[in-house]
Amino acid sequence: MTNILRKTLLAGLALSAFSSAAMAGEVTLLFWPGPESEAMQKVLDAYNAGPGKADGITVKQLLFSRQGYFEKEQADLAAGSSEFDLALVTTYTLGRYAPYLDPIDAQVPAEAKAAFAPVSLQSLTLDGKLYGVPTDISVHFLYYRKDLVDRLLSDTEWQKRYAAIAKEKLGREMQPKAPDDWSWDDWIAAALFFSTADNPDSPTRFGTVLQMKNLIFNIMLWQATLVSNGGDWLGADGKPAIDGPAARTGLQVYKTLIDAKATPPGSISYEYPEANAAFQAGQAATMLQWNAAFNELNDPAKSPTVAGKVGLAPLPAGSAGHKSHVHSLGIGLNKASKNKGDAGKVVAWLATKDAMTVYAQAGGTPPVPEILKAMASARPEFPLVGDFVDRYGFVVTGGTAAYAVPVYEVLAEKFSAFWAGQIDLDTALKQAAEGMAERIKG
Amino acid sequence: MASTAGRRPYEGRWDGLWLLGPLLLFLALLLGFPAVANLVYSLSEVRFTGLWSPRWVGLDNYATVLADPAFWGAVGFSARFAIVVTAAQLLLGFALVLALDPLIAKRRWLMAFLLLPMMVSPALLGVMYRLMLNDFVGVIPQYLQLVGFSGNLLDADWAFTTVAVIEVLQWTPFAFLALLTAYQAIPGELVEAARIDGAGSWAVFRRITLPLMVPALAITGFIRFIDSFRVFDHIYVLTGGGPGTLTQSLSIYIYRTFFQQERIGPAVAASMLLLLASIVVLRLLMAQMLRGSRG
Amino acid sequence: MTRLVAGLRWVVFLLAVLILNIPVIVTLLTSLKTTLDINAYPPVWLFAPTLEHYATVLTDPALDFPRYLMNSTVIALGGTVLALGLGVPAAYAMAKLGKGTTTILPVVTNLRALPLVIFAIPFYLLYQALGLLDTRLGLALISCIINLPLALILLVGFLQDLPQEIEEAARVDGASTFAVLRHIVLPLARPVLVAVAILSFIYSWNEFLFGLILSTRNAVPVTVGATFFITSWGVKWGATAAAMMLSVLPPLLLGLVSYRYLGRAMLAGAVKG
Repeated sequence: MTNILRKTLLAGLALSAFSSAAMAGEVTLLFWPGPESEAMQKVLDAYNAGPGKADGITVKQLLFSRQGYFEKEQADLAAGSSEFDLALVTTYTLGRYAPYLDPIDAQVPAEAKAAFAPVSLQSLTLDGKLYGVPTDISVHFLYYRKDLVDRLLSDTEWQKRYAAIAKEKLGREMQPKAPDDWSWDDWIAAALFFSTADNPDSPTRFGTVLQMKNLIFNIMLWQATLVSNGGDWLGADGKPAIDGPAARTGLQVYKTLIDAKATPPGSISYEYPEANAAFQAGQAATMLQWNAAFNELNDPAKSPTVAGKVGLAPLPAGSAGHKSHVHSLGIGLNKASKNKGDAGKVVAWLATKDAMTVYAQAGGTPPVPEILKAMASARPEFPLVGDFVDRYGFVVTGGTAAYAVPVYEVLAEKFSAFWAGQIDLDTALKQAAEGMAERIKG
Repeated sequence: MASTAGRRPYEGRWDGLWLLGPLLLFLALLLGFPAVANLVYSLSEVRFTGLWSPRWVGLDNYATVLADPAFWGAVGFSARFAIVVTAAQLLLGFALVLALDPLIAKRRWLMAFLLLPMMVSPALLGVMYRLMLNDFVGVIPQYLQLVGFSGNLLDADWAFTTVAVIEVLQWTPFAFLALLTAYQAIPGELVEAARIDGAGSWAVFRRITLPLMVPALAITGFIRFIDSFRVFDHIYVLTGGGPGTLTQSLSIYIYRTFFQQERIGPAVAASMLLLLASIVVLRLLMAQMLRGSRG
Repeated sequence: MTRLVAGLRWVVFLLAVLILNIPVIVTLLTSLKTTLDINAYPPVWLFAPTLEHYATVLTDPALDFPRYLMNSTVIALGGTVLALGLGVPAAYAMAKLGKGTTTILPVVTNLRALPLVIFAIPFYLLYQALGLLDTRLGLALISCIINLPLALILLVGFLQDLPQEIEEAARVDGASTFAVLRHIVLPLARPVLVAVAILSFIYSWNEFLFGLILSTRNAVPVTVGATFFITSWGVKWGATAAAMMLSVLPPLLLGLVSYRYLGRAMLAGAVKG
């Protein structure tokens, strides 16, 4: 097989092989454009002016478009490109890219690791080896309108209505609680209360806004319903457990809400920006959303309607308590790099508190609890990020494996179909489990 | 008037060579390796970690693909999509031609405005539509609500229609242009003669215009059908093939299988199947068209 | 009555232009709104325009938008010239000399039916070996391949219907095929040449996938560059809209200048009995 391909290629015009001559002292970091790269640029500037100068190393960013980023990175790495020495890695693509990366345990010794939240390191570890310095952590919050929930907790008329709706829709009378103590049912009850479909006097049109587009990130958001009820991707026997009772419960949480019109009908095709838009416009009272949204939602210049009224709570609790999916963005080392020595030095420096402090001040969210606490005044959500990551953060079994993205894909496909009413629950779970088994074996 | 096979008396001996040669050489050099690679990939199991070392599995990939309901779903979607949008474009294009020909004939520069939609990259167009279709800040739902429509344009009931409408809006100008040319090339004398004989507008249309437009409709339909069968960009950006796999075109299926599921072999095999179908269909069509032009 | 009909035709025209161009119009407006206005609910139609997004796009240090425009122009022009250079003689051979109509033409036409994604990796490997990765030449070659099918279909169609008499006269006088091609066919075929050129340019200009996979930093086309404002945490709509408007300008200008030829050449072959 190999011979046929090689001969065909040589039979063409084999000119000199393309080599990207990496000049000694020049390190290239592959990244995608956006707030992360803007923040990272400040870190790199600090490096180039400081330790980089001492070591004679300059680091530059190379940006690949976010559209098709993973496909491009895949093609480049698979072909052994040495155009970049360091690359962006994420939890869910770690398994896919690990064959092309060098582990960085040597560059990031135990003392350095100690500064990072353990689950963040775990989210970039595969087979016991660390493949990336976690620079950004993503965790989920339950966002809610403080003003409205405060009123709910003090207004007896509202509480009566709340109890009546809960009785009618959920079968039992319920009393509103503080969001920090919400179970999934409490959240559903609150969402129903804050929807005009069930409560014509509701101050918001929808009680919540869900993200149900056929997209892997939406599964990451959803799977807290799975894990907080004791579920996981795989059972103890290593076989798919996605068709278990926890998944069933979790899927039904979303379905109940969309059927009751407690979330905009367009939620079927929503992802991050659309959900934000709904909350920002004051149309939804609560929202399950990534931590990155808080900054924008609390900024009076960007969100005049809701700034200052945004409360944060952990995702509602299931039988196993509160849980939140966690994943990290990190910087890894390209195996095919022609400048590993210098690149390794950069990696080692990135794992220091100095580097991560610059990153945090520039807008990033590094999983270093000390730094997060220290910046509470500038970024009020930071302490919560640190806290939630530690207490509730989880990485699903197999979340960093090579089959992670394919599994997320099949879950996104089947579950979004169920939520859109295309297939029923049993079919969705069955096909999801089958699809998962296929991808894992594949 | 069609040229016949065989060399003409004064044709140079090497004419065929230097006329066709560069093209053939170019295709061989540039497409040679990729074509062979793809053929090999379609018959192998190959991973991204081993792009140079595929493992022979014979026709397994083809069998996998043919047995995959998602494949047939994608084929079904692409076929339905292509038929619907092509028909719509031909109808709309033709209607616009009939309505606007006198206007355009006098002021040709007006055409530029009708061609503008084609000049936008479909990928970017999809991104902008995300903004326009946004429930809260988008203009399209805003106006639809004014006429009493309150559904969601990307849900299970409307997704197909939405992506189809977007396609029709962007490419109807192509059909309009093609059909307008053919229409304007209809000899005026024919129409004159018919009118002198007392034929009404409808008769003129049915007996003269329509038959003369059929070849143009066929070619335009053919080109647009192939293009819309391959649709990818705007649907991928807007719905990702969803909800579920409701709007998964064949190109999206292949793209997903290739990059996201990393099943290179089956993805290429599916493309080969598509190529096969295209060859057959084109064969039939060309036979028809050649027969027609000889008539 | 005719005045009424004429007026109605104008109405139809204006409606058609408006409806077909909704995306372009909205994009233009979006590119001129402040971010706050873009996120306004309900959407606003009257607003104070701003050029800040255009400034952002053209001066953002992380990207080099003018360079992307230049790249796209070079790539599209290169691909177009190449497609014509290869396609015209071949089309002549097919149309006038009957060579290759049953073999090459179907093969090339069928290429158009294939999803291009399966060629991404093989071309990457090929270009890597040939040193064509991240080069404008490499992408121009791709754009040539993408446009050859349509170019051949249109050229063959047009050439098939060129009157034989002029050619025959020249031949009888002893002109070689090359001379006929150069002095008779090419001038007559100017309309279709321009048509193919414009369509090729537009299709090359709008290509995204190969532009993404086969370029890294030097040869990045504007279709890829314009997506730089799509981030993990949402799309910067204003900047994206501005980028889109800027990237529509070159093909638009080209089309405006040459729209005349687009029509006449399209279906020369189709309207004969």
